[in-house]
Amino acid sequence: MRVRIAYSKLEESRYIAHLDLARVFERAMRRAEIPMAYSEGFNPHPKISFGSALAVGVEGEKEYVDVELQQEMDIGEVLGRLQEQLPKGIRLLEGRVLADGSKALMAVLNSASYRVRLAMALPITRVRLQEALDSWLEREHVTYSRYSKKGPTEKDIRPLVKSLTGEIKGEEVIFDLEVEVGSQGGVRPEEVVGSLRELESLPLDMESIHIKRTGIYVSYQGQNLSPFEHDQIQRGRSKQEAR
Amino acid sequence: MSIMTAAEIRREMERFLPQVSKPNRYLGTEWNSIHKDWQQTAVHMAFAFPDVYEVGMSHLGTRILYHLVNSFPEFLCERTFAPWVDMEEKMRDRGIPLYALESFEPLKKFDVIGFTLQYEMSFSNILNMLDLAGIPVRSADRQAQDPWIIAGGPCVYNPEPLAPFIDFFLIGESEEQLPQVLGLIKEQKEKPRERREFLQRVAQVQGVYVPELYDISYKPDGRIEKIVPAPGAPVVVEKAIVTDLDQAFFPSNPIVPYMEIVHDRIMLEVMRGCSRGCRFCQAGMIYRPVRERSPQTLMQQAEELVRSTGYEEMSLTSLSTGDYSCVQPVIQEIVAKYGPQGVGVSLPSLRLDSFDVKLAEEVQKVRKSGLTFAPEAGTQRLRDVINKGVTEENLLETSEAAFKAGWSSIKLYFMIGLPTEVQADLDGIADLAKKVADLGTKNGRRNVKVTVSTSSFVPKSHTPFQWEPQEGMRSLEEKQQYLRSKLKDRRIKYNYHDVQTSFLEAVFAKGDRRLAEVLEWAFRHGCRFDGWSDQFRYDTWLQAFHELGIDPHFYAHRAMDYDDVLPWDHLDSGVSKRFLIEEHHRALRGTRTLDCRHTDCTGCGICPGRGVQVDLKG
Ligand code: SF4
Repeated sequence: MRVRIAYSKLEESRYIAHLDLARVFERAMRRAEIPMAYSEGFNPHPKISFGSALAVGVEGEKEYVDVELQQEMDIGEVLGRLQEQLPKGIRLLEGRVLADGSKALMAVLNSASYRVRLAMALPITRVRLQEALDSWLEREHVTYSRYSKKGPTEKDIRPLVKSLTGEIKGEEVIFDLEVEVGSQGGVRPEEVVGSLRELESLPLDMESIHIKRTGIYVSYQGQNLSPFEHDQIQRGRSKQEAR
Repeated sequence: MSIMTAAEIRREMERFLPQVSKPNRYLGTEWNSIHKDWQQTAVHMAFAFPDVYEVGMSHLGTRILYHLVNSFPEFLCERTFAPWVDMEEKMRDRGIPLYALESFEPLKKFDVIGFTLQYEMSFSNILNMLDLAGIPVRSADRQAQDPWIIAGGPCVYNPEPLAPFIDFFLIGESEEQLPQVLGLIKEQKEKPRERREFLQRVAQVQGVYVPELYDISYKPDGRIEKIVPAPGAPVVVEKAIVTDLDQAFFPSNPIVPYMEIVHDRIMLEVMRGCSRGCRFCQAGMIYRPVRERSPQTLMQQAEELVRSTGYEEMSLTSLSTGDYSCVQPVIQEIVAKYGPQGVGVSLPSLRLDSFDVKLAEEVQKVRKSGLTFAPEAGTQRLRDVINKGVTEENLLETSEAAFKAGWSSIKLYFMIGLPTEVQADLDGIADLAKKVADLGTKNGRRNVKVTVSTSSFVPKSHTPFQWEPQEGMRSLEEKQQYLRSKLKDRRIKYNYHDVQTSFLEAVFAKGDRRLAEVLEWAFRHGCRFDGWSDQFRYDTWLQAFHELGIDPHFYAHRAMDYDDVLPWDHLDSGVSKRFLIEEHHRALRGTRTLDCRHTDCTGCGICPGRGVQVDLKG
């Protein structure tokens, strides 16, 4: 039985790295005595797969994981037992049984929304902020240098940003953005905000940045669907085709 | 400077935690971590591991004692580790003191800080951690409100280079000793006495060594003249020991980190001690006698541990698990019971002469990994000198069996610079490696990979080789180059340790109190994480010796006499000096000494009169 679970990853749990998260879930499942299905071979692995990785330190309001179990179980019981064994900050929100042949999360998720909060290094007015945003959005290209072991690489991040808005709340600036998630590597929210600071000279205190992924979706016929909704539609379609 | 509160530290940290590497090192919210109430507990202890989190959390002893102390309602125990250099920089920039992970309380607020001394190369981190905590590094500079700084672990068998920094050392196994010490600290907190008076009291606990109660004088040539204990202090401090391991405390709910650590698995301690008697090995002397846990106890612990941790792997740990008398049935039972739940078994240290390929296959049923053998020396002659009871036949037979069973990579560990070593012994290493590789090829393995690793011999206190010098650095390097040229074979990979680190290790392993100055100077000039090759600053160390007019070669490269007063002569592992001298003689004659588990008592001296004995369960 394959189940898809939506969860939030907030507070301290945001520091759990993506690679470690699989082990955190695996061990929690074992403590909860929910029998997982394993891969064949010398080095059997439990069948757990996530959607797109969340960077260390970034909170997630609604993330997804698929798990395959050895036997049929009541989904409510799975969620209840698993929740008790998870670290502080990871809350299970929803779970559904997947139909055979449902596509993996990795294969369908293609869009994400973020909320970024950070302090101003110097006072910024609402007008100034809006000007900066407008000017940034008008650009056709925004190149951003990334540093890796292989040296710096340049990347045009502009085409990956679908929307970007900002507002001022007290001492903080809050940005909401929607970006494409893809196999070719996406764009990081701090890169968008960093380029606003550099190209539009917005005095932002990058050290104080706090990032939260507010959602991750399947963008389908112009709509942002949750992977649950998308699976439902897919299922409906394949039923129709079968008829 | 007033110290920050826990809440202030937490708030400041939140700001930069996403920017440091591996932030989970610094949080203390792991599964099964224990967060006790400060108001409800009388004594607050912080366990301090002088290396990074992922190394410290892999250490079984620290884990046992953390849960042991917390099992007493009146005691609280938290953890702290050496922050990695990026974190330290941010903490120092912002004036954040070193804190304990569970509560974020600054270390300075604890009643006692207990360091674990696993290797000499972590000593500079101890001073750095104290300094980062805002605690004076020298005992003499600390005030009554400062915490007691104590230390345990294998390096306390010669803790002299740390003498001015640590209030007292805990020698031996701490399961019974540490709670006694904490009880005395509780009394001290309620009814304070003079420092000296308290230290005299605590010195009466088995295995507690208070360095300031011992006066050391030196001869004009630099050797020790005598060691004089203060009135009332024990003349010789003898280690504490657990008599019944089967009944000893073992935590059933260990911490499960949220990041990968070095040994990221359940550790099931199957036995303590090893009496094979390898003459270079300190662990083989100081943890005697061999005491095993019964299969019943282990299976019960395994059950609790799988349930409480959810780990996917269980390792049977000890100094030499292949020697555990019930190893086969225990592994079979674990594999049968937990294999279906996706839990594998691993053995950390395999010795080829006690190693059975069938056993390995059993282990590998669930998980596959490489095989490691440690012949330690290249010829039978030298293996007899070090009392390593392994023959070339053993090694080749076992390797062949392993290749036949499907393995294609084998690791071989050797030491260079062992006493009496000659050219033929180096050639022996290369020959053995080639023979093993050829067996692989002969048995049809396509990707035969033999990894040869050599470490440089470091003489350690409380071993038959404690009087031996270390070989000079230049000749060790020549030996490494020689082996490198002899091991040119695409199936063989050769690794070796840098000789500077081994040299400093020898200096401190055989060092005395006068080295404390050097240590402090080196730490003040930036030395830390000396065990990490990318952080090790050999030049700074050399400068430290130079500035203070102390000759490191006096410690590492001098052969000591049997009638020299050794810096650790007042510390007793229970294995007698007479036995060590006999063993040294036998080594030089190339005579073997057999394992007392399988033959008669060989008279090492630990068992008589201490209520302990070799305790086998099979
Ligand atoms: S005293 Fe004898 S029996 Fe006990 S550990 Fe030593 S050699 Fe073995």
